[in-house]
Amino acid sequence: MILELGEFTRVEGNGKAEVIIENGEVKEARVKIVEGPRFFELLTLGRYYWDVPDLEARICAICYLAHSFASVLGIENAFGVKVPEEIQLLRELGLIGEILESHSLHLYLLVAPDLFGYPDAIRMASKHGEIVREGLALKAFGNYIREVIGGREIHGINVKPGGFGRYPTEDELEKIDKSCDALLRFAKRAVNIFATQEVFGAVPEYHVATDGYLYGEKLIASDGERFDYFEHIEEKSLPYSFAKQSHYKGSVFMTGALSRLMVKSDRLTPIAKELFEQHKEKLSRGYVSLNNLAQAIELVYSLERAKEIVSTLLDHGIKGENVPIEPKEGEGIGYVEAPRGVLIHHYRIDENGNITYSNIITPTALNHALMELSLYEEARKQYGTVDENFLKHKLEETVRAFDPCISCSVHFVRL
Amino acid sequence: MKLGVFELTDCGGCALNILFLYEKLFDLLEFYDIKEFHMASSFKEHDHLDVAIVTGTVSCQRDLEVLRHARNYSNYLIALGTCATHGSVQGAVEGKLRDKLEKVYGTRANTMKALDPKPVVEYVAVDFALPGCPYDKMEIYQLLLDLAKGVEPIKKDYPVCIECKLNEYECVLVKKGLPCLGPITVGGCNAICVKSKLGCIGCRGPLPKEANPAGEFEILKNLGYDEEYLRRKFKTFARGELRW
Repeated sequence: MILELGEFTRVEGNGKAEVIIENGEVKEARVKIVEGPRFFELLTLGRYYWDVPDLEARICAICYLAHSFASVLGIENAFGVKVPEEIQLLRELGLIGEILESHSLHLYLLVAPDLFGYPDAIRMASKHGEIVREGLALKAFGNYIREVIGGREIHGINVKPGGFGRYPTEDELEKIDKSCDALLRFAKRAVNIFATQEVFGAVPEYHVATDGYLYGEKLIASDGERFDYFEHIEEKSLPYSFAKQSHYKGSVFMTGALSRLMVKSDRLTPIAKELFEQHKEKLSRGYVSLNNLAQAIELVYSLERAKEIVSTLLDHGIKGENVPIEPKEGEGIGYVEAPRGVLIHHYRIDENGNITYSNIITPTALNHALMELSLYEEARKQYGTVDENFLKHKLEETVRAFDPCISCSVHFVRL
Repeated sequence: MKLGVFELTDCGGCALNILFLYEKLFDLLEFYDIKEFHMASSFKEHDHLDVAIVTGTVSCQRDLEVLRHARNYSNYLIALGTCATHGSVQGAVEGKLRDKLEKVYGTRANTMKALDPKPVVEYVAVDFALPGCPYDKMEIYQLLLDLAKGVEPIKKDYPVCIECKLNEYECVLVKKGLPCLGPITVGGCNAICVKSKLGCIGCRGPLPKEANPAGEFEILKNLGYDEEYLRRKFKTFARGELRW
């Protein structure tokens, strides 16, 4: 018997799953990404480097800045370009805006309806309007930052190799500073709400993240390894999915908010750190559903860190100078933490500045194997003890905990 | 009015942008009852719809089935966003489908029934086509409000340059020699990219009438941009629609 799940609702993009049951026993679970392929690597080939981050932004709307930045970092690394602190901080601020926008979308509009027993946040708003509006306020603020740094809420083209088209004004930065204080109360409440959620899904063997909190030079893993993706991450194509599947040292692993907390908690800001310590025992159990709680803690981190960054920038004053770039032959990788985990852009560029090789690996594809394992384990635990509708609902919640971004996942490297 | 939002293959931004209306979304809900919107809701009612919004390109058999369902079960069909109206970025990838599959997935087999990405408008008749990658969210708000109130929606037919001038932005094409597609791209974005002091990349698709892509091509060529670069730039969002 095959238990069909989907198409998934309250996730980004089009996906399904099937759980195969033989003789009353759960044999296998498959996550099928049914969204059509998008061929981004091919679109990038032969393009002039300057235009590439704008194209790559179109991979995903929820995390377009993560794609723009990963692309810019890959290009800068290929040319050996280093940018000054001001540009680094502005980039980090943009990624923070994206975390705020994406996590609050996921937590309040996609996950919270499960906690409160509604099919969506719009219907949930009739009884719990305050919570929904708090979520929308956090989301709108995240989008405001994305607009200031990225040039528009979705698919702005302001992020460029060597800097930005336009730099933020002092007024814009001050507005960000003021909102952080006001919204912190909402974010702390989110931690309380999501801390009550029961645990489900699988426990990954390893966590993988970038070596800086939101972007880095290399990847790090929970076994202490510091590495480039091609050293330990292996990908394979599947006959039933437009997304590929990855393993770390041959094992199923996780990337995302929970992974960031598990390997980088020492970098958290004061209140976020305190909340992490408070829930550390629960988080350390490692179930993928705890990703929701981890995202709530990251809302707090993002607001605190945004305030730190803005105050540094305001103290120094914005210079607004781009680093000049001379195209030359090279190869570079950009490692960024998209809200839902590690995002990798890898390019080779010729002496004219045109892209000759491009490889993009997205968090949802990295988590694909763990998503299947989670469905398998959850189905084994529940099958036969609950009715089919409840089981399907539970399995969909399990997929949702990954905050999957299916649009991102459907274009992949050549082997 | 009964509303459905259907997503084909895209980045998710056009559906997401509806949620970015925030409080204004609640205004729309005074007129509309959402019967299907899979990104935002687990609620689904197979029913006849007054308005179906479709985003994305038709990139696989599944997309085609969803599109046909949306068309057959709705009075008004809105093709929303440049993927749906012009094919956008995935529509611009050149080459034969099986070659592309081989390059990306390592096999020529097409077990998942992928199709060459094409805009919605090439498969079914649409009542309204609202381009933009993404569109300005106030445009869909206005369109839905107009439909609910029985007002004939206004179609934009002027270039991005008009909005650029209204904002008094410096012309990046004339002053900086940047490749700006503003003169041949339909407006409605409030010249958002020129606000960033960068050239318009043409994400809203070509101006429907009186556009002069050949003239634009000539100007950029004279500025020193090579033909292959310009050809790709012109093609990025509009497939083969801009000719010169």
